[in-house]
Amino acid sequence: MFNSGLIALRELKERISTRSFILMSIMGPLVILLITYMLFAYGGDGKQRWRVLIADPAGIMENKIMANEDNAVAYSFADDYLEMEEFRDGKRFQEFDALVEINEKVLSNKTVFVFYRDKPAVRMQTRIQFQIERRIEERMVDQFTDLTVPEFRKIKQPLNVAFRNANDPMDESSDKRGWVGFFFGTLIFTFIFLFGMTILRSVAHEKSNRIVEVLLASVNPRQLMLGKIMGIGVAAFIQFVIWCFVIGFGLYFMREFLFIDALDASKMDMVQMTKDVQEQTSFDQLFAAREYNEFVELIYERVQFSTMITYFLLFFIAGYFFYGALFAAIGATSGSENDGQQFVLPLIFLLCLALYAGYFTLLNPDSSTVDWLQYLPFTAPVVVMVKLAQGYAPGEGYQLYLSLIILVISAVIMLFIAGRLYKNGILQFGHRIRLTTLFKWLKKS
Amino acid sequence: MLEVKNISKSFYRKIALDDVSLHVNQGEIFGLLGPNGAGKTTLIRIINRIIEPDSGHVRINGDLMTQKHLAQIGYLPEERGLYKTMTVQEHAVFLARLRGLSKADANRLLDQWLEKFNIGDWRKKRIEELSKGMAQKVQFICTVLHEPKLLILDEPLSGFDPINVELIKQELIEMKAKGKTIILSTHNMKSVEEICDRAVLIHQAKKIAEGSISELQEAKKDGIYAVKFRGNMIAFVNALWTGFEVVDKDILGDDRFVVRVKMRGDNSFEDLLKVLIGQVKIEAAWEVLPSMQDVFIDLVQGKKEVTDVQ
Repeated sequence: MFNSGLIALRELKERISTRSFILMSIMGPLVILLITYMLFAYGGDGKQRWRVLIADPAGIMENKIMANEDNAVAYSFADDYLEMEEFRDGKRFQEFDALVEINEKVLSNKTVFVFYRDKPAVRMQTRIQFQIERRIEERMVDQFTDLTVPEFRKIKQPLNVAFRNANDPMDESSDKRGWVGFFFGTLIFTFIFLFGMTILRSVAHEKSNRIVEVLLASVNPRQLMLGKIMGIGVAAFIQFVIWCFVIGFGLYFMREFLFIDALDASKMDMVQMTKDVQEQTSFDQLFAAREYNEFVELIYERVQFSTMITYFLLFFIAGYFFYGALFAAIGATSGSENDGQQFVLPLIFLLCLALYAGYFTLLNPDSSTVDWLQYLPFTAPVVVMVKLAQGYAPGEGYQLYLSLIILVISAVIMLFIAGRLYKNGILQFGHRIRLTTLFKWLKKS
Repeated sequence: MLEVKNISKSFYRKIALDDVSLHVNQGEIFGLLGPNGAGKTTLIRIINRIIEPDSGHVRINGDLMTQKHLAQIGYLPEERGLYKTMTVQEHAVFLARLRGLSKADANRLLDQWLEKFNIGDWRKKRIEELSKGMAQKVQFICTVLHEPKLLILDEPLSGFDPINVELIKQELIEMKAKGKTIILSTHNMKSVEEICDRAVLIHQAKKIAEGSISELQEAKKDGIYAVKFRGNMIAFVNALWTGFEVVDKDILGDDRFVVRVKMRGDNSFEDLLKVLIGQVKIEAAWEVLPSMQDVFIDLVQGKKEVTDVQ
């Protein structure tokens, strides 16, 4: 085992000192963050700050619009009539991006004009419309009814007709969360494939340059294979931790500095002037976040990262050993480096199949096919990740543990099988792999 | 030191070793000879426990060879590789640690070897920066760094220039003097003659000869004697008459020659001297033994069984 440790340490040092490792460690999470950022930003130019002038000669809004300042929009009020041309050309109005014209008839004709210099993004239009609408609404309630604003809003709220699965009334198996699971599953397979190929190349390289014979005079083939898989696995793990750290920091940075109002409803559009409207419920906050961007809400509110990452690691490690052993066996049994590359095709097919299984689970979470796909070691890592993200129904939690146990046992068996192929194939050179040969090597102790 | 007993190994239908036995004494340089494909590498791999024999066993100092004995062996395979991205130091220390040496000891011994070979400035060089000859030297150092009691070297001299060949030969002789046992697998028969004490010859998976170098040569001698003399060449030939046959001659000067003569019939070395005395002035005479090259070719082509010559 000490020798396996030395082999692992050497592999680890070699991997983490390569340029591709360093590049992947930095570029990989940055690309994911970029994609996340674009998804966050989709639907609204949330970070752009607008200055809006409200011309309210009748004083309907009483020079107020919200209790707190909105980071995205800064409102100013003008008591006089303001012509659109004057706003457009007047020097003192150039600092404003838009003019909101509130005329005295607004309470009856319910029409407000917004003149802009550059067309605001849809997101910004919605924001300004919502905030003005709410303030006018408050004024109308005050003027025309005896109701308080909260009472009015209770009446006004549209009826929410929610479609729910009878077997999943809490809507735990959300498609969106399933996608997060699919993302994690894909991440597992991406790492397995990238580092599995590293195992294969490393084994085939040692074989072709014949250093393997020197190593085998000190360690037995199984120790060598295990050391190699472990060393490269630790490199993969380190890279994953770097990814987590960079992505985690990136998400935090985005939340704190770029999408500051994404989840904080008090900073957004729910709080109007009237104090009693400030009674915010968690549902309101969720609603606010969802209004802003469903993806933001999904990432920051609905995904249980601690659970996901824990099981991600467990399935990643077991899945890595399962597939890693296969990659090592291919590397050891191939007659040349190119020969090994060709035999990767069936493995790629298996990996694609696993990804498809994850996608299938996403679309058909209740399918009976999913029940056995989650137990197949080839597909388990991605299928379980999707299922985990969607949420297991009460009483089905055992499926998660059963999948993990089956995968771990399969990985051990695969290491044993691969060890035998490795032992019998590592010193064979220049041959072509045939299935019959592989079976012979498997039978041979 | 090492005893190989009744080792057989086959790869499916191909027999690689057929009931091969041999023994290597402590402190000797033992030649493992044979044509390509004879089974030498298979035997070496079995000794190193890289592959297992179908039958037979290997003993080292009387004990059955196990994994723990590998630390006592230094193995330099014929087709040897190095990790190109590692430095000389990293590589040597890594292999030495696999053989049970501590990091500190590995570094200390590496210092000594680098100094001995005058290559101290290679320490931090990456393997890929080295020439083939330089890499060969590093490989040799990696093989001996953990101070093994038994060295198994497969074609250790190939790839070296003549100066480095001499350097390695001297190193092997020095190690032998220190009591190390060395198994040398090579096709360089001149080296075998020069540095090996004993040798075994394997051909077509079987041992066909084993013994000391002189015994092997002795077994293949053809009754040829060399005579160094001063005088007339015609007189020399006339004196031989029909009882002897001149094989070849070297002209040393106007009237000085070395002539190799083969006995015919029952004629002996003494008979030869008798007919020559008085005809020419004999300066020296000796029995000519075949070179190991000739012994090798003769044994392999003739496939004669001369097992255990001693």
